[in-house]
Amino acid sequence: MNQFGSVGLIAALAFAVYGAVAGALGGKFRSVKITRSAERAALAFGVMITLAVLALEYLILSDDFHNGYVAAHSNRALPLYYKVPVLWSGQEGSLLFWTWLLALYGAGVVWMNRRTNRQLMPYVVSILMGTGVFFSWLVLRVANPFTELALEGPNGALAAFTAPDGNGLNPSLQYPSMVIHPPMLYLGYVGMVVPFAFAMAALLTKQLGDNWIRTTRRWTMVPWMFLGAGIVLGGNWAYEVLGWGGYWAWDPVENASLLPWLAGTAFLHSVMIQEKRGMLKVWNIVLVISLFFLSIFGTFLTRSGIVSSIHAFAQSDIGPYFAVFLGIILTFSLTLLFLRLEYLKSENRLDSVVSRESGFLFNNWVLLAAVFAVLWGTIFPIVSKAVENSTVTVGPPFFNRFMIPIGLILLFLTGAGPLLAWRKTSFRSIRRSFTAPLILAGTTGLILLVKGVRDLYPWMTIFLCAFVAGSIGQEFYKGARTRQRAFGENFLQAMYNLTLRNTRRYGGYVIHIGVVLLFVGFVGQAFRTEARATMEEGDLLRVKDYVLRCTSLSAGENANYEYVRAALAVVKGGYALGTLEPERRLFKASQEMLSHVALHSTLAEDLYVVLAGQDQQTNKAIIQVFINPLVAWVWIGGAVLFLGTLLALVPSRVERELAHLRQQQEEAAEVIDGRSPGEN
Amino acid sequence: MPLVVVFAIAGGLAVFVVFPLLSADSGAKETLPVDVTPLSDLRRRRLVAYENLQDLEFEYQAKKIALEDYERLRQNYRREAAQLMAAAQDLEHTAVEDNFIEDEVARRRGRRRLPAVESYVCAQCGFENPLPVKFCGECGSRITPRTGR
Repeated sequence: MNQFGSVGLIAALAFAVYGAVAGALGGKFRSVKITRSAERAALAFGVMITLAVLALEYLILSDDFHNGYVAAHSNRALPLYYKVPVLWSGQEGSLLFWTWLLALYGAGVVWMNRRTNRQLMPYVVSILMGTGVFFSWLVLRVANPFTELALEGPNGALAAFTAPDGNGLNPSLQYPSMVIHPPMLYLGYVGMVVPFAFAMAALLTKQLGDNWIRTTRRWTMVPWMFLGAGIVLGGNWAYEVLGWGGYWAWDPVENASLLPWLAGTAFLHSVMIQEKRGMLKVWNIVLVISLFFLSIFGTFLTRSGIVSSIHAFAQSDIGPYFAVFLGIILTFSLTLLFLRLEYLKSENRLDSVVSRESGFLFNNWVLLAAVFAVLWGTIFPIVSKAVENSTVTVGPPFFNRFMIPIGLILLFLTGAGPLLAWRKTSFRSIRRSFTAPLILAGTTGLILLVKGVRDLYPWMTIFLCAFVAGSIGQEFYKGARTRQRAFGENFLQAMYNLTLRNTRRYGGYVIHIGVVLLFVGFVGQAFRTEARATMEEGDLLRVKDYVLRCTSLSAGENANYEYVRAALAVVKGGYALGTLEPERRLFKASQEMLSHVALHSTLAEDLYVVLAGQDQQTNKAIIQVFINPLVAWVWIGGAVLFLGTLLALVPSRVERELAHLRQQQEEAAEVIDGRSPGEN
Repeated sequence: MPLVVVFAIAGGLAVFVVFPLLSADSGAKETLPVDVTPLSDLRRRRLVAYENLQDLEFEYQAKKIALEDYERLRQNYRREAAQLMAAAQDLEHTAVEDNFIEDEVARRRGRRRLPAVESYVCAQCGFENPLPVKFCGECGSRITPRTGR
């Protein structure tokens, strides 16, 4: 099966090379035949990579420890549901997984554009397959997951070797959200290649209207949605597994995932200005290039081990290859952009500073500032090493210093943007739109002051959350009331129809609500309480209004790990909340120790209990307790963000009309050509 | 056995990939069709302008924008839609004239060319649709394009 996988990879690489070359030729000569052949190569690439993935999964599930990757990352005692994710738990497997997702995206793009964007498609296929060449070559030559174990005999000859058992999956990855967190993140990273491919195709064909923008908007929203979900799931994993009481530590790999998400957010806003006003054409291309660059850069940071991180894999030798690939991307795309600048002139100018356009533009600048701040903090250890030969790492204080004010400005724009009209907004319109949200925010701010919240940032965050909630609520309310008056619908019907009439806008508003909920969750960190104690059976620990009583300390084991468990009965305000059982687990295969956090979670706060270890002298359990207010809203906000994006992806009435118009044109073109409509 | 299977699949896919290059599909055109014609682009932009107008109307009725903003923006959007409509009409006329010129050139060179305007004559009402359409611009009946005289 190892040979099966390797041959699959070789064939995939061959199809990718062919697809990249044939795509470029098909575009150059505008040849239907060559383009069709290139598109088929993209599909063939997908089939071969899928076979390679299936081969590796087969090796993992059948405990074939003759395979080096399986022996390093799996073991017999590993439960089945954790064996499947072994595919993306190590360097070689995750690069194969990356390539597979690229192949799936490629096949999806080819299938969905089989009748549209015919002039763009050969170059799109060429760019997608060019990326496929890099990754399949990397998997085949540098990080091959189908390497077989061998032992060197006394005469120097290598003999096949099969390990009796494997080293097992990294214990910190044996957690439910870890099963879906990497695929989500990867779907986000990999998907950004599609808008990049369309942008480059538009530059190459000089078709730089908003056609490519309209085509790629959805192809950007989908990976952006997955990336957001992946980030939130990663935060959930860090919160529930790492045992330090938080969910975001500005870790380089966390930052790497945030960077393309921020750039994607900027693009999804600025794209509207190009569609509505024919402006920001160069800017949008730059954003798409940044998106793809940051996605590959994120993969590079995650996989190269160039910076130390909780996700750090051992120093690997794939870094230089990624550096070259990143250099090629930048050189190729920026040169092409420079050569096509004359085709990217703006059709309109900004009418007023107080308008929706300028709001989006300002939002883009702030998001770009966020990208630079996070990028600088992330690569600072590399820069300092290069300049002063000493690695200086910047921690959360650096990021918080910049990112909290930036986050607050963005939060304000989340509420203010939807209240501004396109082109120009008069003072009277502003007064009309802003009054109710500001009254709500002001009232909330006063209540906070009365309640004793005096710290600037938490106060400001809640004030702005109220403002944005008021702004978005007002948008829905006014829209629904207008429909009620116009069509005699009841309020719920009006809300439903209003949303479906323009899913993009109201889906966007739902996303904004998700952002508010995320910030509500973030602000809870300012009110965190922490306590630490050594406990034995019968001991009590009081933290705020919680009382924890240690009822037992026990030890045990299963096939996968040995554990020590503390049972703590929890009482709050005289009411018993049940028993929390934090554990410390020693995984047998890897001999790694990991805490298993116990949580009592409500919408108001989380009681977060960690068994941090055992006191060497007294043999008592070291118990760490965190009371984290409002954390649940981070996960709820993430879910709302995901659902809002799904809603925005549903075609609205206007989009359906445009699609119909486009279909008519295509059918007419096919009729002229002498073929019957639908024939491919 | 697995090796035989993977080689067979790869071989089959290679045939699948090169097949379009080898097939003599005379029905299909050789060059890729244009994605966006100037006319289709104008029509789409006109649709966007109408959508902007509808949005503006809705926002005004929702009391989101003041009367002065509403009137100014409505005027702007209407002007934009009218300009786009005029440009689209010009382009349609130009297309008809281009067809006429090409027909004349073909006739004088002694070659028979099927005039494009005749291809889209409605069988129901007789209207000569100036552009390739699926439905008649006059009565809405389905058009079956004529491929010969």
